[in-house]
Amino acid sequence: MHWPRALRAAYLVTHDAGAAEDIAQESFLAAIRALDRFDRRRPFGPWLHRIVVNRAIDWTRARRLRSEVELSESLDVAPDPIDSPGDTLAALSKLSPEHRAVVVMRYVLEFTPGEIAEALGLPRGTVNSRLRRALDALGGEL
Amino acid sequence: MRRELDSIEIPGEHEARERTWAVVSVALAEREPTPRQSHWPRIAVIAVALLALLAAVVTPPGRAVLDEIREVVGVERAQPALFSLPAPGQLLVASDSGVWVVQQNGSKRLLGDYREASWSPFGRFIAAVSENELAAVEPNGDVRWTLARPGVRSPRWAGTEADTRIAYVDRTGLRIVAGDGTGDRLLIPGFRGDLAWKPTNSFVLAFVTSREVRVRDVQSGRLLWRRPTSGQSSIHWSTDGGRLLVRTEGTMRVYDERGRRLASESLQEGRRYVGARFRSGAREIAVARVGPSESRAYILNGRQLGTGAGSFQDLEWSPNGRWLVVTWPTADQWILVRASGREILAVSNVSEQFRSRTFPRVEGWCCAP
Repeated sequence: MHWPRALRAAYLVTHDAGAAEDIAQESFLAAIRALDRFDRRRPFGPWLHRIVVNRAIDWTRARRLRSEVELSESLDVAPDPIDSPGDTLAALSKLSPEHRAVVVMRYVLEFTPGEIAEALGLPRGTVNSRLRRALDALGGEL
Repeated sequence: MRRELDSIEIPGEHEARERTWAVVSVALAEREPTPRQSHWPRIAVIAVALLALLAAVVTPPGRAVLDEIREVVGVERAQPALFSLPAPGQLLVASDSGVWVVQQNGSKRLLGDYREASWSPFGRFIAAVSENELAAVEPNGDVRWTLARPGVRSPRWAGTEADTRIAYVDRTGLRIVAGDGTGDRLLIPGFRGDLAWKPTNSFVLAFVTSREVRVRDVQSGRLLWRRPTSGQSSIHWSTDGGRLLVRTEGTMRVYDERGRRLASESLQEGRRYVGARFRSGAREIAVARVGPSESRAYILNGRQLGTGAGSFQDLEWSPNGRWLVVTWPTADQWILVRASGREILAVSNVSEQFRSRTFPRVEGWCCAP
């Protein structure tokens, strides 16, 4: 039930199918390991998806910072090519990972702006402005 | 917007779900309490476990192994049988009983009484050798052809969909035969060493003796480059063919495709390399090394992947480059490590599973069918 959304969220932030699979899988495992600390009165999905999105943002930032050097641990599997980008995916790829994340959390994971703010540790105003800017940019591209 | 985002296709979504389920189900099973059974079987199980624990603790090597397993992977996490592989593809395993193919779901097939084997470039066939025979075998065990050769070893298969070659060594030297078993010829008389095809569409072969490494275009016969080396070496190409790794027990050197040395690393006395492989689809190198009391697996110039008491034997990357298997004879285990080092699965009783008195070797982890 939670897997398709977790994978989709990770993919839309990273734009790399392999990384998205790893992130979603590792997030599930992290969630399983931390189940004892989880407050079972709260819904599981948002908790899991929050882990996924934060990991996806971290991964995307790290990839941007990496410069390819010989024999370095920073060398990684080449990102999967985007076979059929489609207008939305191509437009999304032009946003920063932080802006992508708020769009994905709002429209794929259906978080409220308040929930996004809490999950990402941001002021609510920042979330709203990122969302507005992202939608403006996407509107312009689409 | 929601509809647009939901309609974007994710490459390999279904397969990703299958793979994740295989990994997550193991993690979930470990969390679930064991179903309550009658007392006597439980007492018997506890007694056997205590005896095994006692046997492991009272002997010094046993204690070292036990402590290290706990530290690295946790005794509880070692699976008694190979249930599934965490990445797509099939493993080729050589044991005393012969060569086996292991599917992703963990099912195993004994191909026959072969000593050594390697995958064809697309994983459709296996080049397998017995004492005096080279054979092309399908993964279901059907034999396509055989060639009688004395003391045959080290089969390596390369090529394209339309044209393939197998390089191998026998008592006469380094030989080449076409993928259909025809046109067998001697390339280097008297050769004794390791060999590896460059993974490109042309037939470029690297081979190493105790004195030098050479890279040669087999079709034109042209020697592309040669460099001195010393001692028994093994060689591996990166999957893009842009780098060649030459490893002895004490040194590792990396060359580019023109033979320029790009990097080298040496070990202190008392330590030795036992395995090193380029990550599939990348130029990152995973290394397994044995020290006086423990072994280490790590990414060259990078993160640690795991340590264990005693000796590691070798390692192999999964075809997608996201997992690797580290073979650990001291503990009779395979350790499956995610490339990030953050996830480790262990499989125990490896020798028994492959009906072997000696510890089985992983000969390759090849392409998904």
